[in-house]
Amino acid sequence: MKKLDKRLLRMIKITKGQYIAVVLIIVTGIFIFTAVKNSALNLRDTVNDYYDSANFGDIFVSAVSLPEKIEKELIGVQNISGSEARLVLDVPLILDKENENVNVRVVSIDKSENKINKLFINEGKRNISEKNIIVIKQFADARKIKLHDEIKLKINGRQHTFNVTGIASSPEYVYIMENEQTLMPDPENFGVVYVEENYLRQISGTNGNFNEIVVKLNSENDIDKTSDFLKDNLDKYGIKRVVKKDEQLSFGMVDQEVEGLEKMSQSVPIIFLTFAGIMLANMLSRIVKKDRTSIGVLKALGFTNYEIIVHYLKYASTIGIIGGIIGSLIGTALSSMMTSVYLQYFNIPMLSIKFYFSRILAAILLSLLLCMAAGLFGIRGILKINPAESMQAEAPKQGKRIFLESIKFIWNKLSFSWKMVLRNIFREKKKFLLIAAAVSITCSMLIMTFWMNDIIDVMFNKHYTEFMKMQYNVGFTSFLDENTKNEFSEILNVNDIEGRVELPFEIVNGSKSKIVTVIGLEKNTVFYDVNVADEGIILSSNLADYLNVRIGDKILLKNFMPDKDDGYVIVKEIINQSLGINGYMNIDYMNKLFLDKDIINGVYINSLDDVSKILDNVDNISSIQSQSDMKGMFEQFTGMIAISIGSMIIFSGLLGFVIVYSMTLMSINERALEFSALRVMGFTTKEIFYMLIKENSIMSFIGIVLGIPLGKILIDYMGKMFSTDIYTMKEPLTAPEVIWAIIFTIAFLILAQLITYVKIYKLDFMQSLKSRIS
Amino acid sequence: MSDIVLKVESLSKNYQMGEVVVKALENVSFEAYKGEFIVILGPSGSGKSTLLNIMGGMDTPSNGQVYFNGELITAMSDKELTMYRRNKIGFVFQFYNLMSTLTARENVELASEICSDPIDIDDVLNSVGLLERTDHFPSQMSGGEQQRVAIARAVAKNPEILLCDEPTGALDFETGISILRVLKEVNKKYKDTVIVITHNAAISQMADKVIKMRSGKIIEIIKNKNPIAPERIEW
Repeated sequence: MKKLDKRLLRMIKITKGQYIAVVLIIVTGIFIFTAVKNSALNLRDTVNDYYDSANFGDIFVSAVSLPEKIEKELIGVQNISGSEARLVLDVPLILDKENENVNVRVVSIDKSENKINKLFINEGKRNISEKNIIVIKQFADARKIKLHDEIKLKINGRQHTFNVTGIASSPEYVYIMENEQTLMPDPENFGVVYVEENYLRQISGTNGNFNEIVVKLNSENDIDKTSDFLKDNLDKYGIKRVVKKDEQLSFGMVDQEVEGLEKMSQSVPIIFLTFAGIMLANMLSRIVKKDRTSIGVLKALGFTNYEIIVHYLKYASTIGIIGGIIGSLIGTALSSMMTSVYLQYFNIPMLSIKFYFSRILAAILLSLLLCMAAGLFGIRGILKINPAESMQAEAPKQGKRIFLESIKFIWNKLSFSWKMVLRNIFREKKKFLLIAAAVSITCSMLIMTFWMNDIIDVMFNKHYTEFMKMQYNVGFTSFLDENTKNEFSEILNVNDIEGRVELPFEIVNGSKSKIVTVIGLEKNTVFYDVNVADEGIILSSNLADYLNVRIGDKILLKNFMPDKDDGYVIVKEIINQSLGINGYMNIDYMNKLFLDKDIINGVYINSLDDVSKILDNVDNISSIQSQSDMKGMFEQFTGMIAISIGSMIIFSGLLGFVIVYSMTLMSINERALEFSALRVMGFTTKEIFYMLIKENSIMSFIGIVLGIPLGKILIDYMGKMFSTDIYTMKEPLTAPEVIWAIIFTIAFLILAQLITYVKIYKLDFMQSLKSRIS
Repeated sequence: MSDIVLKVESLSKNYQMGEVVVKALENVSFEAYKGEFIVILGPSGSGKSTLLNIMGGMDTPSNGQVYFNGELITAMSDKELTMYRRNKIGFVFQFYNLMSTLTARENVELASEICSDPIDIDDVLNSVGLLERTDHFPSQMSGGEQQRVAIARAVAKNPEILLCDEPTGALDFETGISILRVLKEVNKKYKDTVIVITHNAAISQMADKVIKMRSGKIIEIIKNKNPIAPERIEW
């Protein structure tokens, strides 16, 4: 081994505390990066593979009634390469337990194989005959349905019994949700089942007609044109909705989830890697400064600048490589765990965790490049070292007065050690600014963490208690007369009841459009925290942002109801809604514009009765959603969040800990002579330690103070980044969140300080005073 | 002793200090022959270190030339100067300046690794009388021992000139003498030209040539017909 390399190894050994500290930060940055990035890539890959192999449809059209011939007529027209008509019905599942109300979506399928949206059979067989049924996996798992079990469905008013012959996954229900309103998958209470096409046509009472058609295109480029074409040409069949692939519920949810991961892989690790870079540059510039004479000697011996730079750069590179390898390996291992967590929420049968050697290599390379760049920046001073000058002792640092000294009445009151502390801070601004920056990042990340911890809670509570105040939301199978609501008052002890209309519309503003559920409410409703005016529409802020509309704008509502008109309405108000994306209108106004007078398709009820049980046998009811069901679902959901919150706390703490620890360590090493002189003068190790603590405390205090507004910025950023159709993170920061973050920050800092005390205690001051070699 | 190794011609070095020009060297000229032992004598501030640095390719003059074996080193680029230091020059410093994280042997190897024609390390360590302590780190050695390592480090590169900046300056009398003996032995054994700068007049007794300096100028060049052995020097 070359002697310079030997020197390098011993240098690493001597500075091991700082070395490990920087490696740790790099490891953290790289491991979060690889874990999140790999999960995102894995998911994106598998999702795309799955959609490809299952031949996922491009456009989904639902209509009142579609003749069989339409399937063939469409092929070859307007870029359409394939089409499949089907029958889709939401029907009640007949259960032994009476108080449960579970809906399933029955979808017709071919006897042996579909061309579009192929099923992936997990158990059993794909071939299907009359009275057989294939059940979607999530639903089967949640309800413990096994092969050869019997399932009873109420189709067209009659009970039908089916034999489960297959358990399958479908690309259409990777994320299984009944509709946009449900917000979260609830596989126990909503499932999808598949029944043989001809048999379903017979028993459904639809005269052999279909009600949906799935279309596959040659290329997705002209999807908008084809979509418009279908809307126009199938209008005569009573088109309800034309949904493009990226608006499809499950596809959109999966897409948003993966996108969120991708965004995260680009944001959080950058904070860590930037800090690691700054620290490394700082550390190396200090090492070079300390090694000034040695570097001069090397130059005098005839080492070239290049050789010396490479020598010090190797120090940085080893950090990059070690950090990169450990980080990417942990990250890769963790990404499989993360991907499996997603497995619980997504149903992708072919989800495989691939080991990408090239990605590990890329992560190591990234880490190496970062360290090399930071290293180069840190050691650029080598070039300036003149060998002849470096042999002479460096001129002592100019003991300039600091500005505080001119404020006599403060300065004169300070004790000697405080004066030293303040002078040190002002003379080593860079170092102390780095400490303050690290502390502020730690504090702000902790603020964000505690905020996120609260916000999920707040969002749900706010939405389900303050914003939506109904205990039950009962949906009808079709539109009924407004007076139907009075019948509920007869069978239930009702505190409040109101009729409602919940109906999907395509809302259009210029080139932007979105399909959302518009809710028609009674004026002065007690069930929503909104005040619908006589005319106009209220939009949730995320919808308004998406459509780029402001109060007073006129927007087009495209009606999916057959034979009903589209219409323009004026935006009256934009409201913050933490969950979901909706429009709200006065029910009478909505009916007048788009439907018929005095009709409703559901009711909101507040009642102490067990509404689900009592309404179980009532006709014309398609769904009963209770507040407590929604909250229960949320409880399950929070388990996963707790894990990520916990790890965020550890990561943020690590950053502050490592930086304060390593900076203090560097300080001790550099000021060994100064401390030794103080020790000789009779200062105790404790007094010196307190001096260091005072220096760090001032900067930490500044860091924490700066961390609060920074945390606010981070929160706003996170809110923007992670707001989706479903969540809008706009909750304000609260004092307890900030206080908790500060407590945790201080705890991490104290820990770092305590460890450095050991260093001071071990300081051999006699040796330091003697040493004049490097 | 007829080959001129180093030729210094009208060398001047000025430093600009604010509005004042400090003349560190003024019109200095002399020649060094192969195998010669030269002592440059002068009080501090007389310009001897500046002269040594220019001769060693660590600094550049304001005026004048330095030739090494007929080659003009004062016109060399940084890169060429580095190669000159690497292969032709050995430095010995007042404060030894060893690498604290390398052992005695490793310090010597560090230098010999980079040059084209090094001398056998054991041979050199033996010459400086350090063969037994080669695995010690600088902090485990006395000043004299460290300076021997420093000399070994300079010699191992097989340089043509050994430039020593106050090599005994940090040492006590006894140790100083022993270091001078080592330098003399190296001078004899490897035929290196040795140039020692010092403010200690007694050392000049062992030199073949003594160059006396004051205020950046050479005031006298004395050829010593009968240099004495280092052990007979007293101060």
